[in-house]
Amino acid sequence: MGLLDYLQEQGIDLESSGGIVTAADNSQVEVVINPNNLDVTVAENDRKSVLVLHTKADSSRMVFDVHPCASLRVVDVYLGGCFAESVVRQQAGSVCDITSVVTSGAVVDYMVDMNGKQASNALKSIFLSRGEEYCKVAVRVNHNYSDCTSNSLVKGVASGKSKGEFNGMVYVAQDAQRTDARQNSRNIELGGEAKIITKPQLEIYADDVKCSHGATVGQLDSEAILYMRQRGLSEMQARRLQIEGFAKDIVYSSSAFGDVLAEELNRFLEEI
Amino acid sequence: MLSIKNLCASVDNKQILRGINLEVRAGEVHAIMGPNGSGKSTLASVLAGNEKFTVTDGSVEFLEQNLLELPIEDRARMGLFLGFQYPVEIPGVTMANFMKMAVNEQRKFRGEEPLSAGEFLRMMREKSAIVELDSKLTNRAVNEGFSGGEKKKNEIFQMAMLEPKLSVLDETDSGLDIDALRIVATGVTRLHNEQNATVVITHYQRLLDYIVPDYVHVLYKGRIIYTGDKTLALKLEKEGYDWLINDYKE
Repeated sequence: MGLLDYLQEQGIDLESSGGIVTAADNSQVEVVINPNNLDVTVAENDRKSVLVLHTKADSSRMVFDVHPCASLRVVDVYLGGCFAESVVRQQAGSVCDITSVVTSGAVVDYMVDMNGKQASNALKSIFLSRGEEYCKVAVRVNHNYSDCTSNSLVKGVASGKSKGEFNGMVYVAQDAQRTDARQNSRNIELGGEAKIITKPQLEIYADDVKCSHGATVGQLDSEAILYMRQRGLSEMQARRLQIEGFAKDIVYSSSAFGDVLAEELNRFLEEI
Repeated sequence: MLSIKNLCASVDNKQILRGINLEVRAGEVHAIMGPNGSGKSTLASVLAGNEKFTVTDGSVEFLEQNLLELPIEDRARMGLFLGFQYPVEIPGVTMANFMKMAVNEQRKFRGEEPLSAGEFLRMMREKSAIVELDSKLTNRAVNEGFSGGEKKKNEIFQMAMLEPKLSVLDETDSGLDIDALRIVATGVTRLHNEQNATVVITHYQRLLDYIVPDYVHVLYKGRIIYTGDKTLALKLEKEGYDWLINDYKE
């Protein structure tokens, strides 16, 4: 079952602006559909889960305010070519986990501001492009205070003649000592005409930090495809299995919606 | 079952196989030995259908079909199994999912219904016991983070799942400690019967203590230069290859 079917089954009118669902892990999740403007505030010590669904070629600006010691989970899904900008403002001791799945030519921009000590952010994103689409995910994490942790992993798969792009920036201010920031970009180009450009960047002004970044762009592993075919899988199945394996940790980073997001991924793979 | 006639193959314009002749009948075990670089692994790869190699001459018949014109996956579905010397890690793809697809593709090829989830799980449990493979490994990604011994056990586990007619085991014994070697070799022996055949490529006589071959072939410079029975392996272990290959040195 895909995400849209799932939400409908949960009583959400897809033409409406959303509602509340009880997710597979029993958490209450606020569902927001195609917002042009969205403001979400999580009060001190409170916790919240939000699923934002973008199905249209539209623009969307979202602001997430996470107050001290509050916790926010965001699942951000793009099934239509959307221009989106998200700003996450995290105060001291807050936690924010973002899972982002982009299966269409969307341009998605995340900016995370660490505005207090000991905040932590984890962002996992996958973008998939096909045909002649252009798809971009940008992530900027600003470590403005000390002792914050951020971990971004963005994966890209481009097929056909499509073009994918990742732009990453970790900024560490002079006072942001003991920052622990990781940024990773992993990409697969399917076929000779697909293209992925990745640009991970670090800008560090503090001296006591742990920061790392990495980026790879590759093709499917031909040895693995040979191995799977030797066991009787067709080349198509072997390729698909490998892409599913590549994307899996991202879609399942949302414990609440892992299965339905995996189905969205399947649907994408069927059409390439 | 398998009939190889004058098989010649090259990679990157370098001739590796220079006229292999080999007949394998049901119920037989053949061992292929020979110095490094003699073409043993190439022979296994060409039989499996690895497209990196070009067959330049000769023919291979497998179960009355021209093997060389079949794609890799059809050879596998017909019952040809290659135990890889270096099993490949496939991140994110679980053993269970991978094997389920492999088993069901083979069944589809034979015109059989796919296995139900229950039947499949029972089969996984039963077959993993043959090679004493920790059943937890079947929930992990294919070969990812497996030790050398686990990877080789996993090859034999897959062989047990797929019940091939012909198994070609490419240096399945390399990198194994004594216990793992015993487990892997015993597993292969248990899977052997009168309806299937096994070709083991090995450097060591050790393995052949468990898997007793009907024939031992020595491959050198792309040809089988000598064939004997199981005592040949013992002689080679003691005396090396020099007495055989002197005549062939340039």
